[in-house]
Amino acid sequence: MMASDSTLPAKGAAPRAAARRKPYVLIRPVWALPAVLFLAMFFVLPLVHNFLRGFGGEAVGQSPWFYYAKLFTDIYYLGILGETLRVSLVVTVACLVLGYPVAYFMVRHAGKWNALILFCLITPLLTSVIMRTFGWQVLLSRTGLLSQWLLSLGLIDRPVDLARQPIAVYIGLVHVLIPFMVLSIAAVLRGIDERLEESARALGATKLGAFLRITLPLSLDGVATGCILVFVLTNGSFVTMLLLGGGRVVTLPLLIYQQFNLTQDTLFASAMGNVLLVAALICLVLQVRFIRRKGVKA
Amino acid sequence: MSRGRRTSLEKSMLGIYVALFVLFIMGPIVLVVVVSFTSASFIAFPIEGYSLRWYHRIIEYRPFLDSLLVSMKLAAISAMLGVLVGVPGALALARSRSRLASTLSTFLLAPISIPAVVLGFSLLYYLSALIQGVSFLSLVIAHTVLAIPYITRTVLAVYRSMSPDLEEAAAVLGGNRWQVLRYVTLPQVKPGIFAGAVFAILTSLDNLPISFFFGTATTNTLPVVMLSYMQNQFDPSIAAISTVQMMISVLVLLLVNRYYGIAKLNAA
Repeated sequence: MMASDSTLPAKGAAPRAAARRKPYVLIRPVWALPAVLFLAMFFVLPLVHNFLRGFGGEAVGQSPWFYYAKLFTDIYYLGILGETLRVSLVVTVACLVLGYPVAYFMVRHAGKWNALILFCLITPLLTSVIMRTFGWQVLLSRTGLLSQWLLSLGLIDRPVDLARQPIAVYIGLVHVLIPFMVLSIAAVLRGIDERLEESARALGATKLGAFLRITLPLSLDGVATGCILVFVLTNGSFVTMLLLGGGRVVTLPLLIYQQFNLTQDTLFASAMGNVLLVAALICLVLQVRFIRRKGVKA
Repeated sequence: MSRGRRTSLEKSMLGIYVALFVLFIMGPIVLVVVVSFTSASFIAFPIEGYSLRWYHRIIEYRPFLDSLLVSMKLAAISAMLGVLVGVPGALALARSRSRLASTLSTFLLAPISIPAVVLGFSLLYYLSALIQGVSFLSLVIAHTVLAIPYITRTVLAVYRSMSPDLEEAAAVLGGNRWQVLRYVTLPQVKPGIFAGAVFAILTSLDNLPISFFFGTATTNTLPVVMLSYMQNQFDPSIAAISTVQMMISVLVLLLVNRYYGIAKLNAA
């Protein structure tokens, strides 16, 4: 935590001796005002506005809690809330399990290959989500590559459309989000002294034991950052669910999109947005606690 | 001896896994690029001939080109506005140890931590109450809200790692605030500003969950047009326009690399 004895930087009239001991302040805190006001105006107020809209049940002759009641009591919507949570959790865990070894290899073994792996992690971030999702459609659809390969190998006897299966949504999401996980973990692993693990082994620990009891616990900060990032990003995406999975994986963001696009029940969509927002704020609080410990470096 | 062998076994197993991982990541992207050069009128394998017909198609199909221009203009303007308010904000808050300052710097980073769909949806109804109708201005405001955190984040990180002594020395030697800023501070935080601006530009070009809500004939961004095209047809022109978009992003990055170096960007 930060030192509590320090106060605001010395203002013009403060005694020079006191000012000298504090770090030199070039830009006064006032200069943060434009950014803060801009976000207050176009980030906080819209969310507050939306929050109030969510209680707009009276406009349709119901109680203010009408939409929330609908969301949390109707089996269909409860199912969607559950699905949203499940998709986010599964994708987060999958990214962690699949991504950790990659981060470990990059830091410990890659050597000259490190740059290449880094390149492969950054390239996807330069392509649009639509492009990557389209790539999976091309691979997994009925006329796609995978179906043809399986046919020619004789493993299936007629073309299968994997792009319309829920599994496609999970593959697509992991593909889009795993670079964030690997980069978060690698950043922390890089700061862990390899000699700690070596010492443990010299003292008799097995390779696995040394990893599980030394390296893994030390890298938990990166794991937490990566998990929260992936969880939040999954929570907010609807493109993958829209284009893959054949409409079988319906999550809250997709439902908001549909409410806006098709049914035009925008007050209900506001209420859904607020539920999603609360989930995100909880994640933000967790994130801030981890970032505080490490300084700003995400 | 056996320990050494086991380590190398572990290393090669991990190596194979990572090679598969790279294939998993790059495969779909490379596939899209390959498909964009097909001469067939639909997507089928093996690809029988190569041509540029789908690139002609995207030039002929006006919405692609128009929306690409909208996207590029939007990314540039919102990143610029983000720099204008974000950089002073980050510089002002980075050194202060007060509780308020640390809360405010968290606040400046907040917009990228909340689901974009919610932000886009909320902004649409809020702005349509403020501004008459959906316009390019609304899009600029929405994208600037996202640009600020990206820029603030990298500038905060770079400025915090920089020693205040340099600025103090310049001040002691007689530099006024403006001169210290111009000749000492800004040159040093420049990589942070550029890295942040690049992130902001790249995410703006790819943004769908916010841009989607502001779509009209004159304010449709490229991803919005691509999405609606894809929902109606499945042809290689999406592959071609995706490849063009990727090349633009690569170009942005190469340009930054030329002037500032990817290594510096990475350090930020």
